[in-house]
Amino acid sequence: MNRTAFVSALVAAFFLTTIAVAQNMPGRKLPSVTMSPAPLTTIIQGKPGTVELHFRIGSGFHINSNTPKAEYLIPTALKLDAPTDIVVGKITYPPGEDASFPFAPDEKLSVYSGEFTLSVLVRPLHNVVPSKYMFRGQLKYQACDNAACYPPKQLPVEFEVKIVKAPPPPKKNPPQSPHAHR
Amino acid sequence: MKRDPVVLMVVAMVVSLMLVFGFHMARKSDGQAAASVGDLKGKPAPDFTLQSLDGKSVHLSDFRGKAVLLNFWATWCEPCKIEMPWFVELQKQYGPEGLQIVGISADEGDSKDGVSEFAHNMGVNYPILLGKEAVVDAYGGVQFLPTTFYIDRNGKVVDRVFGLKGKGEIEDDVKKALAESQVQAQK
Repeated sequence: MNRTAFVSALVAAFFLTTIAVAQNMPGRKLPSVTMSPAPLTTIIQGKPGTVELHFRIGSGFHINSNTPKAEYLIPTALKLDAPTDIVVGKITYPPGEDASFPFAPDEKLSVYSGEFTLSVLVRPLHNVVPSKYMFRGQLKYQACDNAACYPPKQLPVEFEVKIVKAPPPPKKNPPQSPHAHR
Repeated sequence: MKRDPVVLMVVAMVVSLMLVFGFHMARKSDGQAAASVGDLKGKPAPDFTLQSLDGKSVHLSDFRGKAVLLNFWATWCEPCKIEMPWFVELQKQYGPEGLQIVGISADEGDSKDGVSEFAHNMGVNYPILLGKEAVVDAYGGVQFLPTTFYIDRNGKVVDRVFGLKGKGEIEDDVKKALAESQVQAQK
């Protein structure tokens, strides 16, 4: 092994070690919910389209579903601000997973854990100028682990939609006279 | 220009050490509250004035002479809900010996009625106070619930517990707080 290769290997080993040490530092882990960057969705003027948003919950944590089993539990809910002349329609939440936890083994809670996806119906009006439009909002959630709960948080959410012109209606051929070809 | 690989290695190590330090500081700042809570152990519990569900102003110092179990909780916290019936039993059992359980709700400010209804449904037999950010901060910025402080008759923090523990452990801590007070009284 030449000197450069040896030094490179040493540096790589050092980086890997420091990363491993950093990840195992003591201290209680805090819950995290993150959103995957949403790909650009193309929607036709005047027609509804669906945007899918993917979220991931840190391992060891769960959050209430959109329909928790008790009214005092805080549901996961997305609020969006739509650009002018674009309507945000129904937001579809996945059903929660019925799960029981060590703190209440006899009770089932409706929760999300791991990954979950929300669908947002977007309907641009006919008069929207074809262009890209940014949607911004917040996902409100409240996380717990097996022994403790964390105050509600709001995750900033954003995604972009490209509005394109509706294709021209297909041209109808004018009715031909039966006497046209003689 | 030819760079010496050893110099590059040293630079890389320094950079990675800085990254680790930065990461550690970020973690530390996230857990700052928990760390400062730890500092309260053995120190006087910060006094506060909070409103009870029936509209009275309650000070922690009102309970001086009693061992206080100070429980931060919220209606949206399922593990907190599990503890409440235990607290009701412990208040009945150890109240005559000088235990006072006090709940501080971490629900948002406009939810007094919801807290009141929840406490009523749980049959709570101890005062529930409506939390304020300043009080939460004074106790180290409670980052997760339930968080419970055990305070002796002289107003000193004997112990603090994060998250749900078993009833037996809570009872042991209550006995410890009551005993600690007696030990200090004998000194």
